[in-house]
Amino acid sequence: MTSITDTIARALSGFRSTPMSRAFGSWLGKIAGGFLALLVLTAIFAPWITPFDYAAQDLTNGNAPPGWPHLLGTDQFGRDVLSRVIYGARTSLSVSATAIAISITVGMTLGAAAGYFGGFFERAVMTVVDLTWSFPDILIALIFVAIIGPGLTSTTFAIAIAYLAQFTRLTRAQIVRLKQETFIEVTINLGAKPHHILLKHLLPNAIAPVIVVGMLAIGDGIVLEATLGFFGLGAQPPTPSWGAMMASGTAKLFLSPWVIISPGVVVAVTVIAVNLFGDELIRALDIRDRIRDS
Amino acid sequence: MTNLLEVRNLSKQFKSSGGPFRKPRAMYAVNDVSFDLAKGRVIGVVGESGCGKSTLARLILRLIEPSTGSLRFDGDDLRAKSPAAMRRLRADMQMVFQDPYSAIDPRYTITRALIEPFVVQGRYTIGTADQEVSELLTLVGLSPGLASSFPHQISGGQKQRVGIARALALRPRLLVLDEPTASLDVSVQAQIISLLEKLRDDLGLTYLFISHDLSLVRYFCDEILVMYLGRVVEVLPETDATVRHPYTATLMDSTFAPDPRQRRIIAPLEGEVPSPFDQPPGCAFADRCPRATAICRSETPVLSTAFGHAVACHNPL
Repeated sequence: MTSITDTIARALSGFRSTPMSRAFGSWLGKIAGGFLALLVLTAIFAPWITPFDYAAQDLTNGNAPPGWPHLLGTDQFGRDVLSRVIYGARTSLSVSATAIAISITVGMTLGAAAGYFGGFFERAVMTVVDLTWSFPDILIALIFVAIIGPGLTSTTFAIAIAYLAQFTRLTRAQIVRLKQETFIEVTINLGAKPHHILLKHLLPNAIAPVIVVGMLAIGDGIVLEATLGFFGLGAQPPTPSWGAMMASGTAKLFLSPWVIISPGVVVAVTVIAVNLFGDELIRALDIRDRIRDS
Repeated sequence: MTNLLEVRNLSKQFKSSGGPFRKPRAMYAVNDVSFDLAKGRVIGVVGESGCGKSTLARLILRLIEPSTGSLRFDGDDLRAKSPAAMRRLRADMQMVFQDPYSAIDPRYTITRALIEPFVVQGRYTIGTADQEVSELLTLVGLSPGLASSFPHQISGGQKQRVGIARALALRPRLLVLDEPTASLDVSVQAQIISLLEKLRDDLGLTYLFISHDLSLVRYFCDEILVMYLGRVVEVLPETDATVRHPYTATLMDSTFAPDPRQRRIIAPLEGEVPSPFDQPPGCAFADRCPRATAICRSETPVLSTAFGHAVACHNPL
């Protein structure tokens, strides 16, 4: 385990002591980071790992308890739970990561522009952002899915919009703080144009806390995706998603608890791992104060 | 001798807009400042903190837009320049900042920081960059071996030398020094000052030197402007000229003598600098001035050369 995570950390960091490798330094970081790396690899290589086709039904063998050959049992249609959990990792991780990537891109652009240009534009952007900030994430996502209909695409955009406020606020706070630094005045006095100041000084210095908060938000995004899936608003059958699997398990909760427990445990462990690793990254980058002041 | 910089009636008014629970307020950070800076000369600006020294520096470089007044650099009207023309002209007028610790982007190596002036001005050529950097580092007395260091790996004095090297990169004619030694140790201060003297002689630079340290300014400069609350109260044409303004006199008296036999009782200045907001008529220094009379509280004194050199005082020494 140790040697694998160390190798991954070194590969990610180009063989130097970087925040990434330092985050892998503690045993918590190793366990959490190792689990996440394993999860990503599992999702990528799902077709080669899964023992069964995730959609193959076997109605004569429904609700079979964990055992051989179905290690985690089968659901009501006789589909292999393990294979569906593994494919569910694909859905959850890709939806959450894509959503957060969209959210970071749009949020950083809005936040940077608001923080840099100020004035009426800043006030307009921040008013809208603070307005969405005052609603729970799930409510914003639900409203959005209700408008454009269920499915993976709308789930992705719903999650992206739900976390937009967070990244806009964080980036703006960073930019406003950085604008006061002497090196910005130096650069203006060298005759730099605004885009040089923004792209070469402000954004590179603002990006570290945004990336870490983004990492933590992927964990929240997985929960939000599972929640929407649980309500039947996310991935549509037969595409497996952890939330939808849990929803299907509720019907026979006491008869076949493995159907709901397996994806539930995976969601919980994944989110805990994301948060623990995010905390280690924050510690390694020493940016706790900067994240708090947004 | 021609003037590199001509400043006329330069003022900057800062306004705070009113709201439901606030009155709008306005203050002059810099009020009606005029002076000429001849090529190759060094003018010192002294005053307490908050008197507008740093604002004056930023107004001259148009880092802050002046409210009124005119600025001429080598005969050109600076305030009439378009943003693009101003950006090009900045190569000729550089500044060394007070705080060397935040003057370099923490993510930049020294090389990248020193190349940035060329990149920004579109004069960057890949082949000559390394040579330029080591020349600049040598110019300010640093080892070219530091080029790949990050700012957190070098000392405050070294950072300030890098700041000076970066300011010199584009071969400016005017260098504004905003308290370049204020946040450095005394021994490092002396190194920086002698470096600045050497650079002035070698490169024929013109300096505007801002400081709160009167003894340093008297040592370093050819001419001294004394500022109090945004106004120039006295212009000393030579550093050993007889002081006429009571405020300058108190400033002179409050410098400490290193020789114990020369120690004298220092009479500290009573009271505080009045609020720059809603100033009453009359001389801003009147409340703290031992020589104040009735006229000082009713009429604002203007600079006049009736007593030898320019002094703004009704009852000069």
